[in-house]
Amino acid sequence: MDLLQLGNYSFTSRLILGTGKFSNSKVMLEAVRSSGTQLVTVALRRFNREQLEDDLFGPLRELPGITLMPNTSGASTASEAVRAAHISRELSGSPFIKVEIHPNPQHLMPDPIETFEAARILAKEGFLVMPYIAADPVLAKRLEDVGCTSVMPLGSAIGSGQGLATAEMLNIIIRESGIPVIVDAGLRSPSEAAAAMEMGCGAVLVNSAVAVAGDPPAMAEAFAGAVIAGRQAFRAGLMQKSGAAVATSPLTSFLGAKA
Amino acid sequence: MKEMSQMITIELNGKEETLPSGSSVSELLSIVGSDGKNVAVLVNDQSVRPENRSAKLLQKGDRVEILIFAGGG
Amino acid sequence: MSSSPGWLTDERESALLAGMLAPSSPVPLEALAAESKAITLRRFGRTISLYAPLYLSNHCSSGCAYCGFASDRKTIRRRLEPDEIERELLAMKKLGISDILLLTGERTKAADFDYLRRSVELAARRMQRVSVEAFPMSVAEYRTLAECGCTGITIYQETYNRDRYEALHRWGPKKDFVDRLETPARALEGGIKTVGLGALLGLSEPLEDALMLYRHVRHLSRTYWRAGISVSFPRMRPQTGGYEPPFPVDDHLLARMIFAFRIALPDVELVLSTRESAAYRDGMAGLGITRMSIASRTTVGGYDDTGRTDKGQFDVSDDRTAKEFCAALRERNIEPVFKNWEPVFNGPSDVQGTTMKPEEVHICH
Repeated sequence: MDLLQLGNYSFTSRLILGTGKFSNSKVMLEAVRSSGTQLVTVALRRFNREQLEDDLFGPLRELPGITLMPNTSGASTASEAVRAAHISRELSGSPFIKVEIHPNPQHLMPDPIETFEAARILAKEGFLVMPYIAADPVLAKRLEDVGCTSVMPLGSAIGSGQGLATAEMLNIIIRESGIPVIVDAGLRSPSEAAAAMEMGCGAVLVNSAVAVAGDPPAMAEAFAGAVIAGRQAFRAGLMQKSGAAVATSPLTSFLGAKA
Repeated sequence: MKEMSQMITIELNGKEETLPSGSSVSELLSIVGSDGKNVAVLVNDQSVRPENRSAKLLQKGDRVEILIFAGGG
Repeated sequence: MSSSPGWLTDERESALLAGMLAPSSPVPLEALAAESKAITLRRFGRTISLYAPLYLSNHCSSGCAYCGFASDRKTIRRRLEPDEIERELLAMKKLGISDILLLTGERTKAADFDYLRRSVELAARRMQRVSVEAFPMSVAEYRTLAECGCTGITIYQETYNRDRYEALHRWGPKKDFVDRLETPARALEGGIKTVGLGALLGLSEPLEDALMLYRHVRHLSRTYWRAGISVSFPRMRPQTGGYEPPFPVDDHLLARMIFAFRIALPDVELVLSTRESAAYRDGMAGLGITRMSIASRTTVGGYDDTGRTDKGQFDVSDDRTAKEFCAALRERNIEPVFKNWEPVFNGPSDVQGTTMKPEEVHICH
């Protein structure tokens, strides 16, 4: 069985869904259902008596087979993220925490230093730490070293829909990583999700592309199919891309005739 | 029976909120319309677990945060 | 007896390499050469890094069936004393050498850890870069060597085929397959900056050894991701012991292996020694090989010409002088690089990664 192993959790689905930006929670829940996802992200927010429907915990709890992965979005320092993680764990009971620290609201790029600090602390405390980072191969290894459960490098900026702009770096990260690599942010289409899986990602996280699609539940289902196809292609062994053109004068003539 | 004239002001989710003196966290939750099931409650940065909410009484000037899980990526 | 680790047999890991090496592979050698050349050029430029071996001692406690220095052979045993080492070092420096590989056999009383350590200290005073190819050591011993100025450890598994390995290593500590396999990891754990791996081609089925060697590199680079790794391709040649390699590797296959390794491991140093002929070395320079030994002597000492006629560990095939070899490289538009390291960076690497701890520098005098 080709299971996604995160800590002591095993998942059959390699599509992780974000729950933000949906027009309403009914649509979001339908999308979660049709995607077959088993891991969804949520964000800690203040309770609002005028918007009781903001609460997703209640409805999500009723869906079978869903594990929550709270994120620390809103935090701009490691200590804020750690605090959010503690509260989230107490509320949800889930050991997963997506460390997401983006201090700049313009581009939402993650702060590597605060992220590393928070990850280090939370991993020691027994959280299943899933840090959201730029596609930095060395940062990825540093996070693996301190005990993160996976690394989540971005494909492109959150909500930008620029796809796998960081493909070259992602390839390096995937090649060097001993833990699952989960591409998060920037995926716009199912074909991009398939491409990420073909590269060897352990999973992909998609949010905006599903939430703002014309028909989110249908799009979620499309992403699910793409993730399955991409993963199967990866495991089946893709044909190599052809390399450099052959030189005009033979490079191997010094070897003489084959024995 | 609480005397309606004794109200205290606390800070709830960053805004001022008045409520009867001696209210518990549970009572605050019903005032704001939460059933308490899917929320985290912090009083002065300390988490108040569900089983402790009816015993925990609020004081004037307490900073209370009621948090939920909302949508996020 | 410990069991072999899982990574050794992970076929998925080495699928790319297997595709290029398989006898049924549709990729012609010339195409592999072109790709290998292109990658080498991009990553390493037009340079070859040069080093020379210095055999400190041919004392040995092991019984390797294929080696002229095995403990049951009648070879005259000797070891270099400090003053001899000094003379050898100076003679090597005169040839332009500044990157040196110190060799001994398996651990013996005559050439034990202390002897090796003192030799490293001496070499580090004269040479810009000091590596060692000797017996497997403990993490603590490797750390001590790193503190004394050793930055590289070469240790060949010889063969990754466990049955063949156990048959060939008849007695002595080298008989332990898994201990040998774990040695490069111990060196890196001890703070050695680079490890050199290799299989002695000819001992076992070469394609199998190539795939397992590749998996070894990948396994180490995932854990010791700051470390340098080099891969050598020692090919069995006629030598003093007279051992006939049962799986001889011809020129074409060796070339194919080197090109395939370069394509599969674009960042790893690939090394060719003077076991290979001048023509072969000249041809492979720039096609994938990035490091070569020069002006080699495989006898104990030998650079400081005292007129000795000892037999070496293996017969040197390319016996050109350093000057001649460099001229040949330059003719092929390749720059020989003698110094590619600054000793100020010597000392054990911190495997865990720093968080601004003050570095402790041990200076050996």
